[in-house]
Amino acid sequence: MRLILDGRKTLSSVNERYGQVVDFLYHEAELLDSCRHREWLELLTDDITYQAPVRITTAHSLSDSALSDMDHFDEDGYSLQKRVERLETEHAWAEDPPSRTRRFVTNIRCWLGDSPEELLTRCNLLLFRSRGDIGPADLLSAQRTDLLRDEGGSLRLARREILLDESVLRTQNLAVFL
Amino acid sequence: MMNLQRVIEDVQKGMIPAKLYSDPEIFAIERRRVFGHAWLFLAHESEIRDPGDYVVRRIVDDSFIVCRDEDGEVRVLFNMCLHRGMQVCRSEIGNTSHFRCPYHAWTYSNSGDLVGVPFHRDAYGGEEGLKKQGVGLLPAPRVATYAGLIFASLDANAPELSDYLGDFRFYLDFYLRHSEEGPEFRGPQRFRVNANWKIGAENFAGDTYHTPHTHASVADIDLFSATKARKRKEGALFFAGAGGGTTYKLPTANFRENLLHIGYPDGMINRMESIWSPEHHTMIGQAGFMPSAATLLPNLSFVHNWPIVNSEGLTTPFISVRLWQPVSATETEVLSWFVVDQNAPEWYKTSSYKAYIMCFGTSGMFEQDDVENWTSITAVSKGLMADRLNLNSRMGLKRDGSPVNEPIDWPAPGRAYQGFGEYNQRDLLGLWCDLMSKDDIEIPRISTLD
Repeated sequence: MRLILDGRKTLSSVNERYGQVVDFLYHEAELLDSCRHREWLELLTDDITYQAPVRITTAHSLSDSALSDMDHFDEDGYSLQKRVERLETEHAWAEDPPSRTRRFVTNIRCWLGDSPEELLTRCNLLLFRSRGDIGPADLLSAQRTDLLRDEGGSLRLARREILLDESVLRTQNLAVFL
Repeated sequence: MMNLQRVIEDVQKGMIPAKLYSDPEIFAIERRRVFGHAWLFLAHESEIRDPGDYVVRRIVDDSFIVCRDEDGEVRVLFNMCLHRGMQVCRSEIGNTSHFRCPYHAWTYSNSGDLVGVPFHRDAYGGEEGLKKQGVGLLPAPRVATYAGLIFASLDANAPELSDYLGDFRFYLDFYLRHSEEGPEFRGPQRFRVNANWKIGAENFAGDTYHTPHTHASVADIDLFSATKARKRKEGALFFAGAGGGTTYKLPTANFRENLLHIGYPDGMINRMESIWSPEHHTMIGQAGFMPSAATLLPNLSFVHNWPIVNSEGLTTPFISVRLWQPVSATETEVLSWFVVDQNAPEWYKTSSYKAYIMCFGTSGMFEQDDVENWTSITAVSKGLMADRLNLNSRMGLKRDGSPVNEPIDWPAPGRAYQGFGEYNQRDLLGLWCDLMSKDDIEIPRISTLD
């Protein structure tokens, strides 16, 4: 399933709900940049799906440039919970010592969802990741398309589709969330 | 100046010069002698099912189009136009009847034949000038398949693939032959790591000793508890033909019970039972050993684990095939496929895929921590102090060379030891030494004028 944006009503950047989406995305980025993963989990709905298909280089067009049956992430609440639990152990070497990360979230656009509680948003993400003191830092560039749902007055992430811009990732693992 | 003979002698003693993992001189020799002679994995037949299907894969620096031609034959074609050397195919996957060079439009059929040269008569004088007949993209010198795995060798005099694989074929059957129709390969995920290619190959060949500590976190979170040291130590380490691997000891002496225990459904077990040999039955049943990670010389690895995939505690196994494709002495492109039997039920495919994504590949919770080790080893092996150090890879051998434990009675091909030991890493690097000791031979250039 892919989130469809065509034909939806766009929310202008001066709309109050657009502002709520921006607040949500900036808050989320700050939580992840500061490794507050447990608080990040609380931003997710119970039926969260979180997916990052593998990109490929194909002839002619970008429309078929992601594999339909292979992902870097294909997560639900259980697996995201496990990933966070793992980071909280004393043995998650891939992020111990932790990377210094900075998420730059830009080009935010919003659309009305299928129900009054739901909003769709698309943004660009640039993730800077520096580990240790030897190698050069990594940059990961992606487009994110999110389904946000209002639950009891606060927005939560119900679905995230991450379209990475590399076919061959240059970061040594995805031990960080996008 | 590097003394290769000295390096090989040390490696054969199980004392590994640290610079094996970063020295550009050693890598330059590996390119010619290991990757210029061995049988190398490129793709699985399920990735190119229909005529015209292709994928583009590399052998170190050489790009190859791996395709199925109109007659259904698998071709491995060097991706370089005979005219000016442009890559004729620049997408990595697709379906086409022809490859047309973007530079001057020389055109090749998907069997590699040169079928189109613009102004062939006017500019070249037709066939009398430039022969098209019988000319085409250079094929890999040798191509052969086993269990759907497509291998190529750049050495025209390489042994037959079946002789090269030897008894490792038994273990390929374990990973890949779960029904007559065989598996589907999905992916690969591709990522570059700043690590020497041999570190992953050695690790998968036999390093059960790292599992309890490097992968402690996956046991901490109850994702896969078999990684604990007490359990891992009971496993056997097998080496047969051109590769070796690791196993876990399972609780019963019954073939079906053990496969059910790790999450295979009855229907799949029925097919495995009928397609596998009596030795497979005994290894998994009576002896109770279940293969996990393995490596085939030089750089193809396999992994089979069975984590818990949901909050209800469902255990499901997965299989991944992975290639450690060298980029340089200090950089490797990892290609990681998810592999599942075509006849598996849909729920199983979904669950097994979930298990794979959680454990291996770019975001895998096992793989993440492995790579952290491998990049660090590679980085620290570059210096002058590292130049002086031979790393100790002698686990399982006393100082006088006698074994700590004798090989066990093993019901399957090859030899096996139980408990921790670096027997397999030494055997794998021993085969690497054999290749590294080959003389360089002069290979004549191929000319389309002849």
